[in-house]
Amino acid sequence: MIDSLYIAWKYIVANRAKTITLLSCITLIAILPISLELLLDESERQLLSRAATTPLVIGIRGSSLDLVMNTLYYGDEIPDFISMEAADQVSKSGLALPVPMYVRFQARGYPIVGTTLDYFEFRGLTLGEGRQLAILGDCVIGASVAEKLDLRPGDSLISSPENLLDLAGVYPLKMHVRGVLDKSHTTDDLAVFVDLKTAWVIEGLGHGHLDVTKTTDKSLVLRKTDTNVAATAKLEHYNEITEENIDTFHFHGNSSVYPVTAVIAVPHDEKSGTILQGRYLSRDEMLMIVKPKEVVDTMLQNIFRIRNVLDAVILVVGFATVLAIVLVFALSVRLRKREIGTIFRLGCRKLTIARFLGAEIGIIVIMSAVICTGILIVLNLYASDLVRMLFIR
Amino acid sequence: MIQIAGLNFQYAAGDFSLHIPVFTVERGEKVAVIGPSGSGKTTLLNLIAGILTPLKGSVNVHGVEVNGLTDRGRRDFRITTIGFVFQDFELLDYLNVFDNILHPYRISAALRLDKAVRERALKLAGDMGISAMTRRRSSDLSQGEKQRAAICRALLTQPKLLLADEATGNLDPSNKTKILDLLFRSVEDHDATLLAVTHDHELLPRFDRIVDFRDFWDG
Amino acid sequence: MPVILFVCYLFDEEDTMMRKRKNRCGGKRVALWVALAMVCLLLSPPLSFGKDKSLLTVYTVNYPLKYFAERIAGKYAQVFFPAPADEDPAYWMPEVQTITAYQQADLILLNGAGYAKWVSKATLPQSKLVDTSRSFSDRYIYMEEVFTHSHGPEGEHAHESLAFTTWIDFDLASQQARAIADAFIKKRPDLEKTFKRNFTSLAQDLHTLDSEIMFLVSLNQNQPFVGSHPVYDYFARRYGFNMISVHWEPDQAPSRQQWIELQTLLEEHPAHWMIWEGEPMASSKGKLLDMGVESLVFDPCGTVPDDEDFLDVMFRNIDNLRVAYR
Repeated sequence: MIDSLYIAWKYIVANRAKTITLLSCITLIAILPISLELLLDESERQLLSRAATTPLVIGIRGSSLDLVMNTLYYGDEIPDFISMEAADQVSKSGLALPVPMYVRFQARGYPIVGTTLDYFEFRGLTLGEGRQLAILGDCVIGASVAEKLDLRPGDSLISSPENLLDLAGVYPLKMHVRGVLDKSHTTDDLAVFVDLKTAWVIEGLGHGHLDVTKTTDKSLVLRKTDTNVAATAKLEHYNEITEENIDTFHFHGNSSVYPVTAVIAVPHDEKSGTILQGRYLSRDEMLMIVKPKEVVDTMLQNIFRIRNVLDAVILVVGFATVLAIVLVFALSVRLRKREIGTIFRLGCRKLTIARFLGAEIGIIVIMSAVICTGILIVLNLYASDLVRMLFIR
Repeated sequence: MIQIAGLNFQYAAGDFSLHIPVFTVERGEKVAVIGPSGSGKTTLLNLIAGILTPLKGSVNVHGVEVNGLTDRGRRDFRITTIGFVFQDFELLDYLNVFDNILHPYRISAALRLDKAVRERALKLAGDMGISAMTRRRSSDLSQGEKQRAAICRALLTQPKLLLADEATGNLDPSNKTKILDLLFRSVEDHDATLLAVTHDHELLPRFDRIVDFRDFWDG
Repeated sequence: MPVILFVCYLFDEEDTMMRKRKNRCGGKRVALWVALAMVCLLLSPPLSFGKDKSLLTVYTVNYPLKYFAERIAGKYAQVFFPAPADEDPAYWMPEVQTITAYQQADLILLNGAGYAKWVSKATLPQSKLVDTSRSFSDRYIYMEEVFTHSHGPEGEHAHESLAFTTWIDFDLASQQARAIADAFIKKRPDLEKTFKRNFTSLAQDLHTLDSEIMFLVSLNQNQPFVGSHPVYDYFARRYGFNMISVHWEPDQAPSRQQWIELQTLLEEHPAHWMIWEGEPMASSKGKLLDMGVESLVFDPCGTVPDDEDFLDVMFRNIDNLRVAYR
């Protein structure tokens, strides 16, 4: 047996190109369905687990998938806004804890999630470094954001403008990193968390500036009455909230009309949840309430159908590859016909000839298996991050 | 050493037949077999080695009735008793010279590769003047060096009978003589019998006996 | 469970007779019952008496809410109001560490009506916030003559024009206390009776204050007053005070312009009393007296008083007010 392996190994080494080609084909055809299965299982697990832990989401009537993807996974599709009044209504009902979410802006490619402190308790997020949000302008970042942008508590992070041409729109705000969250292996690792009010400052609903009621610079005053001073556009708004200027920050208008993208509702019990859902059933209701688990289940069922198709395709491709591999081996045997003839003439038994050829196949298959195992181990280690990167966000 | 009597052979295709009433080779003899191409010289070697089996007759090699053995028996007998030297050397490109020499011991369970065999292989390589090339790939050797390696392979199993099929056929004149010298010396040193098929008439005087295959050929 | 087993043992007639006859086996039986009883004890749920639930940690944004919370919760809560005594809690900005302490509380009692400006700039857990004036938010008072600003020709005004000293309308104070009681009961439903009892006691005291002032004012409904600072809006509305306020501070000498404004005011509104948040400067008092205006202190008690509590301060306020109705 050892001699067969020795001869086979020598042959394999001497025919590297053929060996590598065969190895690649076998490895690919073996690893493809397994890794796809692994990644899909992991994505299903991630999607489902996050959805399962989010009881209800309230948003604008429309695409429940967009609403759930934006609220739970910070997807790029931003649903139409609802107002903070939706959260107030939930709070007043006494049926659930409202957790408003405003997922609209970005900072260096990462979503800025405007929310309340309740969100962190709801998701079980803990701080790894630094402290929690405390005042306007603070931000707390996910572990992956900290790693990728090399940020620590004490550093700053500027929000990105929504549109470079939108001069009167979203203000870049220099936020202060106050804390870094522990790795949660969820989408939260890739998010920048701010207080809802800070998100509204980014939008321009709140701002800080010189006190125009006291300024002597007439170019800053558009109109002055006995009770009100209207400022001109020349009045510069602070793009960073500091200890010195925080007192100047204020909001205009009523905060109950301020926008949010969704409200996560955590019912106090099942009965409260049912009652709460009932309140949004009316066709005239502008808002809708969805159960993320149901939405994701439906989505996954569709993916499952696609998965079946993918599996079938892989099966066909795999079969074709196996045929190709068999052909390669058959041709290889034919190429070695002379060698086989020689050892036959020297007195080699038929079984030994078969063993030589079998050993070659066996070594290639074992090498492929080792490579596959290595790839699968690595894939398993990074599956959750890969899935988030490739499929979820 | 070799006794063939009343041998009658025909290929399955039916287009060639061979009849040998009597053919003997004494032990230690160096016999050359000559004849026109297609007369059956190589067939004779194959019949003696048990690669082919006759329709009728007996083939007795070193006291063993070869055509009476099973296929496995003939292979084992062949590898332990007979050494082959081919016209095209038949070395394996993917093995080095030393591995090529040792090859019979790797392809047969009837032989056991041990330290003594390796030492013997090295000695043979030394005797053939190729000890410095044992770690080189056989494809890197010259024609003469390849044939020397092939002879080492054939002699490693200490065969009683050496069958050479046009062993000098692909060599230049100077190498032909050298290889034949080596072959003869090895056969004498190992107390073996040599049966060589050759087209090279210049080498014939060196053999003990010449067998003209036209005597057996049906034409 | 162990009680049942013990009773069974006591009333085990067969065992009683057997004990007399087979004393040597009695010991084994007792041991068996004891063992069974111990097993049952281990498997029984722990007994409830002496259960130690942790205290509620409550943070407030002013002293009145702290007082109300302490009256209602009694020994079942630790109530904190960390603003320094020399800072107006309405405009105080706590340090980050203090905000963190607020975040850790079980409940954060807000006054509402725009009080405690810092709340709109801090991050506090919504689930723990209690807006004690939410129940009467439709009756908030918007202050007049406050200078606002807006942006551009159509911009909205800044919302700094709400009056926020709600607790000196003792009827509203009672509603705020009720909101606190409700929040406590939600957190500790097992103490509902205690909290309700304590709230009733507090509400009774607030009602006493309310009634006394009602009575006082009824003696001379239209008597004009000047408020030294616009903190008496809810007080004035509740008790029907004929009051107009200026923007003076007790520890600051009014400017010449301010004296002139007061003079102008008094021509239309001939008040003989100015109500101060705190003891005014002697010079201010003197000059007012020259103008025929006496001073009395009605301390809103937004910060922690020295050696007194909220009720003490309010009763003292009423005594001070009583002088104006003699």
